[in-house]
Amino acid sequence: MGIWGTRLRGIWLFYRGVAPALLLISAALLLVMQLPALVPLPGLSEEKVSGVPPGLVLAKLLSGLAVWYLANELRPQQYWFYYNLGLSRAWLWGGVAVLDGGLFIVAAEVVAWLWK
Amino acid sequence: MEMKNKDLTSGSHVLEADGIRVVFDGRPILTDIYLRVQTGQIVGLLGRNGSGKSTLLQAVFGARPVPDASVRIDGRRAVPAFQTPGLLNYLPQAPLLPAGMTLRRAAQLLGVDPLAASAGFPELPAQLDCHLGELSGGSSRLWQVLLLLHANTAFSLFDEPFSGIMPVHVETLGAAMQQARQRKGLLLTDHRYAELLPLCDVVYLLQHGRLQQLGPNYRDELVEYGYLLD
Repeated sequence: MGIWGTRLRGIWLFYRGVAPALLLISAALLLVMQLPALVPLPGLSEEKVSGVPPGLVLAKLLSGLAVWYLANELRPQQYWFYYNLGLSRAWLWGGVAVLDGGLFIVAAEVVAWLWK
Repeated sequence: MEMKNKDLTSGSHVLEADGIRVVFDGRPILTDIYLRVQTGQIVGLLGRNGSGKSTLLQAVFGARPVPDASVRIDGRRAVPAFQTPGLLNYLPQAPLLPAGMTLRRAAQLLGVDPLAASAGFPELPAQLDCHLGELSGGSSRLWQVLLLLHANTAFSLFDEPFSGIMPVHVETLGAAMQQARQRKGLLLTDHRYAELLPLCDVVYLLQHGRLQQLGPNYRDELVEYGYLLD
């Protein structure tokens, strides 16, 4: 396994450690996005939402920052193994942002398409 | 120009660090530091509790960013050092592996043959599919040291490698370190000085923020500086 192969595996491994929280938040946000179409509530528009609204992206971004902060506060020792693979915090969280952000955009597009 | 892995994992190399200044709550922890380790050496770092030994190792490793810190390999700057492939690894006092990772998987990612690494410790190979949390404190520590000791880096920095390990294993581990010295440089800090000192080629004492290299009669100096009782 080359250096970059090892590092990519390290990023994937790190993502798996934080994925449960991030995926749960993604699912909750996507559910909220479709809520007006699923449950007609007084005062809420019944129009189905299509595409990825900027508010949703902002909510995902803020929740991601909260996960990052909590991970650093609650599990500050989690980085040692990854440092020994040559991975800095920036690489680890950058990888998480790419993987989780990409997954979230795809899921949002799929949900919007299903509701068309 | 970035050094290539093969450049560092063979031949003779010198790791130097200076310019490391760390202040906690207005109290200077590290002020006057010059540290030198070369491949083929075991270097001991001693100091009282709270003297900054772990902070110094983390600063050299690069996990603790320190402004103006200079870490060099063969005279070339390497900051943060852990990002230079094949240069060094670091064993913290805290558990090294992520929760849920088996030793076999960790060895694979670190590029270590776990059976070769655990040679001399007959009970260890049976633990390969365990997580650290499933092992006793001593076995867990021993595995962590062995994985990093056998990883293909030019230098290893170990913070309390003997902590919790039973005496017979400390002796075998000492022999493994002597063997590893043929291909890498080791920087060790541990309060078990009776086991540590016989392994060391060079001994440093960290006191009042200053790093001092001790002479051949380091035992007398350690008494003089109040680290050991007469």
